[in-house]
Amino acid sequence: MILLLNKQVYLLTTEAQLYYKHQITRAAEFESLSVLRDFVKEACQQYEEISEDTVYDLQLAVDEACTNVITHGYAGMNPGSIILMLELFSEKVVVTITDFGHPFEPSEPPAPDMEAKIEDRPIGGLGLYFIYQTMDKILYETNEDGNHLVFIKKVEA
Amino acid sequence: MFKYLRLKSQPDKVVTYPGSLGIDWLSRDSQLPITLKHINALPEKIKRRIYRNLLPPDILSRFGVHPITWNGSDREARVRLRAEAGEGVVHLWAWASNDPNDEFFRLEIADNAYDGIDIHMLLLNDPNSPRFRTDYDEDGNPTLFGTARRNLAEEERAMEAGLAPAQIRGSLGGSKSVFKQVDAFLATLGHQAYFLEPLTYASAWVFERRGFAYVRGHKLMDDIHSEFQPGGRLNRALDDSTPFRQAEQWRSVRGRAWAIQDGILDAIGARWDHLRMVKQVGRYAGVETFPGATY
Repeated sequence: MILLLNKQVYLLTTEAQLYYKHQITRAAEFESLSVLRDFVKEACQQYEEISEDTVYDLQLAVDEACTNVITHGYAGMNPGSIILMLELFSEKVVVTITDFGHPFEPSEPPAPDMEAKIEDRPIGGLGLYFIYQTMDKILYETNEDGNHLVFIKKVEA
Repeated sequence: MFKYLRLKSQPDKVVTYPGSLGIDWLSRDSQLPITLKHINALPEKIKRRIYRNLLPPDILSRFGVHPITWNGSDREARVRLRAEAGEGVVHLWAWASNDPNDEFFRLEIADNAYDGIDIHMLLLNDPNSPRFRTDYDEDGNPTLFGTARRNLAEEERAMEAGLAPAQIRGSLGGSKSVFKQVDAFLATLGHQAYFLEPLTYASAWVFERRGFAYVRGHKLMDDIHSEFQPGGRLNRALDDSTPFRQAEQWRSVRGRAWAIQDGILDAIGARWDHLRMVKQVGRYAGVETFPGATY
């Protein structure tokens, strides 16, 4: 059964597991970051199964990934769109960030030296490391319909 | 910010096989996309059968055009297809009568540099509405939809009649049907998306409502909306200096579009060019750069 309510899709499967989909599209500009962070929080807070820690991790991961799209993905062009989609299953959250800028491929970074003095640490590199540390699975694909970065986070109440 | 990533200088090709289209190839993975150039290499009757799927039957039937034969009730041909072998471009025209001025549908789609799909042209005209010669200047030269030259007197008449820039007649109002048809057609070919460059602010707004997102220009559209608000630079530039810059035009999509056609973006150091939009097949992006807009 599918119900359409306030732009959200509710799909009730035969196993009676709820599936919720939320989507927002914004311009790839820094002013959009707070909107996207708030969107993640507001979407997740509707479901008591998702802990505050999980919401926080998702917000930070989305913030880092979208900052990267804004900074690198649309570099040198009038910025296009970022589509942020959250799919909430009973046991996991799937976040998909789609853009149409330059394709990139994140590779797993080495662990940064957290013991080093702040002034001795290289600039950058923490964002992707953080995402790899906090998300359970990361997928990236680029094809005809855009660049898709997918995070999967298991739900911990 | 990410540090460890690899940027590609350009996208990969969407279609990755050489050669011609045949049963052998079609028997392979059904998800592999096909170019228009491959279809255009097929015999004429096969092409016609395939490209028939680009024409919404409901729009054809509004003008008595049979969706299979492409003939009118007088058995005269009302649709023309041009899909030349060796080219990756398809043109479709449809007329309500034998009068070439009664064209109500025109679609041009093409393979792009990456073997994806671009829509070059989509016209949906109501042939029963008054025609305005905004497509020719006062010396009879083509204006290229107002992009190369302008016919100011005709544009003013068209604006007063409720048209948007680049329109020569009132709209047929069938873009929803067309994009539904294009989505289905391209899904059949195995394409996941298609692209276009909106000619005007009004057309970009329409494409947003049809589910398109922006490859380039989303921020420009946001900036335009912001600057048209009271106190913004575009709002202040609506100074009645021309018929296309009247004070209340910021309130509507068409009003803004005519002011932009008149060059008002100079006020924010921008130009209406290089915008590019993308439609993901079967998906709706939900972009709304002019919330609560009045057309």
